[in-house]
Amino acid sequence: MKFAHLADVHLGGWREPRLRELNTQSFCAAIERCITEKVDFVLIAGDLFNTSLPSMDALKIGVQKLKQLQDNNIPVYLIPGSHDFSPSGKTMIDVLESAGLAVNVARGEVVGEKLKLKFTVDKKTGCKITGLFGKKGGLEKHYYYELIKEHLEAESGPKIFMFHSPIAELKPEELAGMDAMPISLLPAGFDYYAGGHVHVVQHEKLKDYPNVVYPGPVFPNNFAELEKLECGTFVIWDNGAVRHEKINLKPVAKILIDAHNKTAGEADALLEEAVDKAQLKDAIVLVRVEGTLRQGKPHDIDFNAMQQSCLNKGAFVVLKNTSKLESKEFEEIKVSRASVEDIEEALLKEHAGQLKLMPADKEIQLAKELMRVLSAEKDEGERIADFEKRISSDVDRLLGLSRTDGS
Amino acid sequence: MRTNTYRLRISDIIFITSRQVALFVTKGLIVSGQFGDILVREKQGKALELGELLIADTAQGKMLLQVFDLVYGSQLAQQQLELLSGLKLEENVGLQFFDEAMRNYILARIKNLASITNNQCKAAKTLPQCFSEIRDVTAADVAFLSSKGNNPLFVGKLRSGSKVIDVPIYLDGSKALSHHVLIAGTTGRGKSVLMHTLLWHTLAEEYCGMLVLDPHDEYYGRNNPGLKDHPDARDKAVYYTPRSPPTGARTLKINLSHLVPAHFRGVLEWSDPQRQALYAYYQRYEQRWVESALRGEPVDGNFKEDTLGVVKRQLSQLLGVSIQGTTITCHGIFDVQAGQSTVEDIIKALEESKTVIIDTSEFSGPQEILIGSIIANEVLERRRKGIVNVKTAPVISIVLEEAPRVLGKDILERGPNVFATIAREGRKFKVGLTAITQLPSLIPRDILANMNTKIILGVELKPERQAIIESAAQDLSDDERTIASLDKGEAIITSNFLPFATPVRIPPFEETVKAFSRPARSFSGIQP
Repeated sequence: MKFAHLADVHLGGWREPRLRELNTQSFCAAIERCITEKVDFVLIAGDLFNTSLPSMDALKIGVQKLKQLQDNNIPVYLIPGSHDFSPSGKTMIDVLESAGLAVNVARGEVVGEKLKLKFTVDKKTGCKITGLFGKKGGLEKHYYYELIKEHLEAESGPKIFMFHSPIAELKPEELAGMDAMPISLLPAGFDYYAGGHVHVVQHEKLKDYPNVVYPGPVFPNNFAELEKLECGTFVIWDNGAVRHEKINLKPVAKILIDAHNKTAGEADALLEEAVDKAQLKDAIVLVRVEGTLRQGKPHDIDFNAMQQSCLNKGAFVVLKNTSKLESKEFEEIKVSRASVEDIEEALLKEHAGQLKLMPADKEIQLAKELMRVLSAEKDEGERIADFEKRISSDVDRLLGLSRTDGS
Repeated sequence: MRTNTYRLRISDIIFITSRQVALFVTKGLIVSGQFGDILVREKQGKALELGELLIADTAQGKMLLQVFDLVYGSQLAQQQLELLSGLKLEENVGLQFFDEAMRNYILARIKNLASITNNQCKAAKTLPQCFSEIRDVTAADVAFLSSKGNNPLFVGKLRSGSKVIDVPIYLDGSKALSHHVLIAGTTGRGKSVLMHTLLWHTLAEEYCGMLVLDPHDEYYGRNNPGLKDHPDARDKAVYYTPRSPPTGARTLKINLSHLVPAHFRGVLEWSDPQRQALYAYYQRYEQRWVESALRGEPVDGNFKEDTLGVVKRQLSQLLGVSIQGTTITCHGIFDVQAGQSTVEDIIKALEESKTVIIDTSEFSGPQEILIGSIIANEVLERRRKGIVNVKTAPVISIVLEEAPRVLGKDILERGPNVFATIAREGRKFKVGLTAITQLPSLIPRDILANMNTKIILGVELKPERQAIIESAAQDLSDDERTIASLDKGEAIITSNFLPFATPVRIPPFEETVKAFSRPARSFSGIQP
């Protein structure tokens, strides 16, 4: 049996158009390789799309590639991820499944107050596949607690369990702050655990859980991931051997400037020198400047000139990160976090508990959900009135409000 | 007024308002005594009990009293009583006292606990009138005790002797836990049920995080009712075990790189050169120091080979690892690869007001202490260094079973450990201990005195009772008999955060579990 395991495709992700395009290309390359490798089937362990209502472009490419797999007699089994679900629980994955392009394996029935999952059997190989989707805020955890595991564990193999959640025992040190669920929530004894959600490249063998695998994202999702992973990855399982496949599309050039105790001018000069020395042809250039400036402010460093220099040297795209750059002149502004999500998390934690309406952790969760819902953009072709109604109804649902005036 | 069974006198009725009439049964009459030792003649048949709470209504309000001793009283001289009993025993004379209830009776020695005016409680400073009648205490008399406050720590229901009064008793949990709690009692008197109850009621609270080192693997409830049955368990209880984990539990693995020499203080006996060798390895190899010591890599400081050999052997046994050549094989919870985020995860959970239970049932004593030491050190250090804002952070309490294993005089003579440090200065950082023991006398006096809340269950051994009484927040010098007579589930709580030593009854844990119901779950998103 040979299959491919992808996760965290995030089609439509990246605001920067060239990186969004690269993200799409990476997905296409992965599918091409699945076809070349003649895999029996493909698993996508959540977050095929970046948003629950993806753009027309993202949807189009997603459908094209799934159709291409189907034309090559390669079925696709997937689970929705936390990005695939709208607050009302709707997901574009349902549409793809209705069109016969993929099979959502998160299926089952409620027995009493428990959840009994069913297997989906791959006709070609006889492999039995089941799994549970991921939800925002790790809400899928409750499904796992109510999972009837006996029949899943008793089923003879080969069998695969798909999940879209962080596992506590597998978390690397840099993700220590991330909420995760224990592996004991998953049914034991499957041949392969196809994970998603955590953008790491990992293959662990735990007691009763022989192959727990995170393939990594099909393309890195942000600056830090590009820095760490450099390219997208997916996994090929070839008769028991797990192989992490890299999708190298562009070289990554990393420029790190330690600006600690330097003036903005000195940091600027260092940056210029580093750019001069670096090989940047067709590269994704990652510029990170960090430390506390002795004099001057971060914006005194001429990043525009730096960017232009990089592009002049043939760079594909230039990204800068100054989240760890501080100025002594503005010490009250402390930005020590790496990403927007981290900063939001830190600020929410700092201010949580002021309302006293609910426990602080629930308040943080609600605030995050509200931010996400309220930052939704109008979809292509959606009328303003419909958009407003959608947002309003999502907010009501989150706050547990019901409207009686028909508005 | 007369009935067949019960004689009620006008003085038994106290008019509270024009509409309400409360019936209070007179249980005795104050006859003499002094402050703190008032003598009451028991009304025939009212059977006063040791520890019973009583009320004397006074012109200013009420006086709360408690029985601490019972003696016989008689209108006949001792010689006559002895003669009469001889007649009955030896001559088999059919002997009956004329008006017996008047002549032979029971006297109760009672003490003033507090005076109550307008539902406000103050320390008692006056005596009730001589010949005042005393009566049963009611829930309304002590309503001031059931105030929950912002940080409620439920410790049981008010108890009067062996009777339970429907008044839940709460401590200010944030203060009580940071100022340390001692739970003392002989085996079988309810220490475990009490701890289950405390953990159950603090689980959902935001003011505290609890770290439980559980040598009997009982609190999560792998096979019995436990914290896993709490409606908030999934979000608030984190259970680590080295054995096959039940659903929702985590496998305990700690990465060797998270150890520092300070964690080993008080864990094993180290000679000075051995201790210095630990630090020398740490200085040279930093995060890799344990691996380096196990592999016998070179270290600065002219240590004898024997010393390094002992260090290597001690570490290897304690950490459950073996070395062949330069390859380290991990057999236990300490690991070269896995467990990189375990300590961080545990600290995060505690700082998020969760309860972390670590099943230490398969560990040796030193291993258990080492694990506790790693986490306790980390919690304390983060708060000391200001990484965690103590002002807004929850109080973290570390539950230690058989506390003398880490707080015993003999252990501390070998050198201080982090638990003793927490006992002495943890409160500044809102880190406290909940120490459970049947032998409090083994804990040094200054540490006992620092434990400002003591929950005393039945204690049979006199030296143990003495150790508690001498270090109690309230004067318990008259309560030795009461403490000795406490039944299972009965306790006395002395605390700086209670107005007087309060008798409580801890409800059976099954009752507590039954009183909570789980919310129904929906399974939206699952395809048929």
